[in-house]
Amino acid sequence: MENSSTLSKSAVKISVDLLSNPLCEQDQDLLNMVTALDTAMKRMDAFNQEKVNQIQKTVIEPLKKFGSVFPSLNMAVKRREQALQDYRRLQAKVEKYEEKEKTGPVLAKLHQAREELRPVREDFEAKNRQLLEEMPRFYGSRLDYFQPSFESLIRAQVVYYSEMHKIFGDLTQQLDQPGHSDEQRERENEAKLSELRALSIVADD
Amino acid sequence: MAKHGADEPSSRSGSPDREDRVSEDRSLLHQRLAVQELINTEVSYVHMLHLCASDIRSRLQQLPQGDLDVLFSNIDDIIKVNSRFLHDLQETASKKEEQVQLVGNLFLEFQEELEQVYKIYCVSYDQALLLVEMYRKEPELQQHIQDIIKAVVPQAGSSGLSFLLVIPLQRITRYPLLLQKILENTLPDASAYPVLQRAVSALQDVNTNINEYKMRKEVASKYTKVEQLTLRERLARINTHTLSKKTTRLSQLLKQEAGLIPRTEDKEFDDLEERFQWVSLCVTELKNNVAAYLDHLQAFLCFRPHEYNLDIPEGPAVHYCNLARDLQLEAFLKFKQRLEGLVCQPLCSLAKALLGPQNLIKKRLNKLPDFERVEEKLLEVGSMTYEEQAARHTYQALNSLLVAELPQFNQLAMQWLGQILCTFVTLQRDLAKQVLQRAEGSMAQLPHHQVPEPAFRKLVEDTLGRTSNQLHSFQETFKKVRPPPTTQPLLPGSERQVQALLSRYGPGKLYQVTSNISGTGTLDLTLPRGQIVALLQDKDTKGNRSRWLVDTGGHRGYVPAGKLQLYHVVPSTEELQRQAGLNEDPRCLTPEAVRAPVPSIPTANQVIAAYPFVARSSHEVSLQAGQPVTVLEAQDKKGNPEWSLVEVNGRRGYVPSGFLARAPSPVLWGWNLPS
Repeated sequence: MENSSTLSKSAVKISVDLLSNPLCEQDQDLLNMVTALDTAMKRMDAFNQEKVNQIQKTVIEPLKKFGSVFPSLNMAVKRREQALQDYRRLQAKVEKYEEKEKTGPVLAKLHQAREELRPVREDFEAKNRQLLEEMPRFYGSRLDYFQPSFESLIRAQVVYYSEMHKIFGDLTQQLDQPGHSDEQRERENEAKLSELRALSIVADD
Repeated sequence: MAKHGADEPSSRSGSPDREDRVSEDRSLLHQRLAVQELINTEVSYVHMLHLCASDIRSRLQQLPQGDLDVLFSNIDDIIKVNSRFLHDLQETASKKEEQVQLVGNLFLEFQEELEQVYKIYCVSYDQALLLVEMYRKEPELQQHIQDIIKAVVPQAGSSGLSFLLVIPLQRITRYPLLLQKILENTLPDASAYPVLQRAVSALQDVNTNINEYKMRKEVASKYTKVEQLTLRERLARINTHTLSKKTTRLSQLLKQEAGLIPRTEDKEFDDLEERFQWVSLCVTELKNNVAAYLDHLQAFLCFRPHEYNLDIPEGPAVHYCNLARDLQLEAFLKFKQRLEGLVCQPLCSLAKALLGPQNLIKKRLNKLPDFERVEEKLLEVGSMTYEEQAARHTYQALNSLLVAELPQFNQLAMQWLGQILCTFVTLQRDLAKQVLQRAEGSMAQLPHHQVPEPAFRKLVEDTLGRTSNQLHSFQETFKKVRPPPTTQPLLPGSERQVQALLSRYGPGKLYQVTSNISGTGTLDLTLPRGQIVALLQDKDTKGNRSRWLVDTGGHRGYVPAGKLQLYHVVPSTEELQRQAGLNEDPRCLTPEAVRAPVPSIPTANQVIAAYPFVARSSHEVSLQAGQPVTVLEAQDKKGNPEWSLVEVNGRRGYVPSGFLARAPSPVLWGWNLPS
């Protein structure tokens, strides 16, 4: 986004520098042309700023918000992971005791371990369930969530470029430039260059 | 051949009239002869030109085309002009009376064309001579050339190519002389006289102009090249001559600064120069700005949103991706290319073209002191040396060249600049049109494209508000930390303890140990996981908030705060009700009056023996699986919670705490801890 701002600003700089050149004072036509160009550039810059603001509001911020959910999500996943570890650990312990011979102390320990395991397992399952439910919903919500953003993005472009088209269309008509094709323009440039070169004061290279 | 009959020798008579007429006739005769000479020489000249151009040139095909161009330069144009001239000359021959006048008029007519065509030839003549010299050094080539010349133009002899090439130069300088001759033999009162006079001066002008042009060209080509010399080369160039030259210039400048001598001000030139400086400033600035613009455009295009995949299969996102991709690859690329070709490149060429004039202006400024000195000397002394004359000429040539051509340059440059600017504007418009077309196309596929802009914005705002709330709720969901399994299995037998602590301290102060604590210090407790303690103080004597003073019901000491967790005493009112309405187990004792303020006892589980246990000593008591027991103390005399003091079947003794389990059943009520 800053790129498009800098782009617009550098376009404005072109016209501002031109305007400041003293030649403009002498030559009325040139002055008119350059002033018109300058106005156009400045207006475009204003529109660009507007576009940037609009996009900021409707695209960048929602994007950020969406992204800010992810840390909490990651934390939740981590916690589930931890719970899983605990569960596994206790499960292993239970299995270990189950494999031993069923003496009294062992049985007691087994029982205790089972008791410990139960809430941990429940906890893990609860976490798991939650994530299983919520994550797909979250992921799916992005579809609807981003729809308006993209729409807005496209529309902002449309608005901006229609303004640009209008402004520069007017300008070209005003500056009296016939609709030359590119080859024509190139030929014109070549012609001017050779005219310049025909002067002896211009070095040939 | 004399044509007119007026040239027959008249009879010699002594009358002055007759003599005049004789001289008149004689001059008329000479005039006619001169005119005829003009025509004849013209004929042979044109013939020679033809020979050079067609025969000799075509036989010299082995030389590279560039050389041939230099040698013969615009000889074809000369032929064209002179052929027409000749033709017209020959026509005048028919009009006997007015021939001279017609001839004069003809020269005046052709003056401009002759000047144009011959000046070009003269300028390239020097280079042609250089080439001829080069050829002379190669004997084989030289011989070949000689043979050709001999074949075509036998009378050329062994003079070589230069002889042939100089012919046009000779011709153009001869015209004034020929005309002069005709003029001399024309009577002053003849009608043709003024015409002839004008013709003569015209042709002389032509020659002067050609010379001037040539000199300017030489000066220009000498000084326009910007020489890139290294320091070493510059140093090598310093010799006494340059040193003296520069010191004299410097002294001149100083004298001017001091006001000793007036500085020649050339207002016209200064104005021109100023304008030129503005133009060059304009061009360089524009060039730099456009270059910067291009750079920014490049940076702008580096951002490629369509390459990142959000995995949204359809809808506006896809449209946007396509749009962005199209824009990048096509519209903007084209814009950039056109910008480079139609705006940047011309600007660069224009900027390069500025160098020549800049150099010349600088040189002129350098030579100005020389010129001024020479002028001074001329005023004082009236003559000057050869070098001084040369310096003067150089300066004058530079000056006149610049004065003549700078205005043109400025104007051309400005026009071109104007064109370039217009092109720039048009390019922007075209870009806008392209993007707009595509964007509108994309927009038409969006669901809300009919909605006008302000309404759309409101819509978007609302939607975003809604969805951000949704997101918020998601976030909350994920943030919710479920409490870890708090209901850790209580060591059986500790309910009593809990109750006691509860009664003494209140529910908010009970904490459960989350992992085994091994006390290291003297006042630190060693507690197993699951033990309930009551908080006495949440810091130790030193104020350390991570060591808490707790009461276990028997012992007091410090434990690390991190291993404690608030214990939620789980009330289960239905259990209480159950308890209250239950008929006792025949073995349980009737509840006695509850001692001290023991609030509603939350413990609802009957302790039973989970496994059989055989007592191994008198302190221990045997258990059978499933037997209900009464826990008197949840730890032994040493405070070790592995053993519990229980009463079973009327007997008391220690059993391993692990062998006891809780089972939901009517609780034995009323047992007090033996105090």
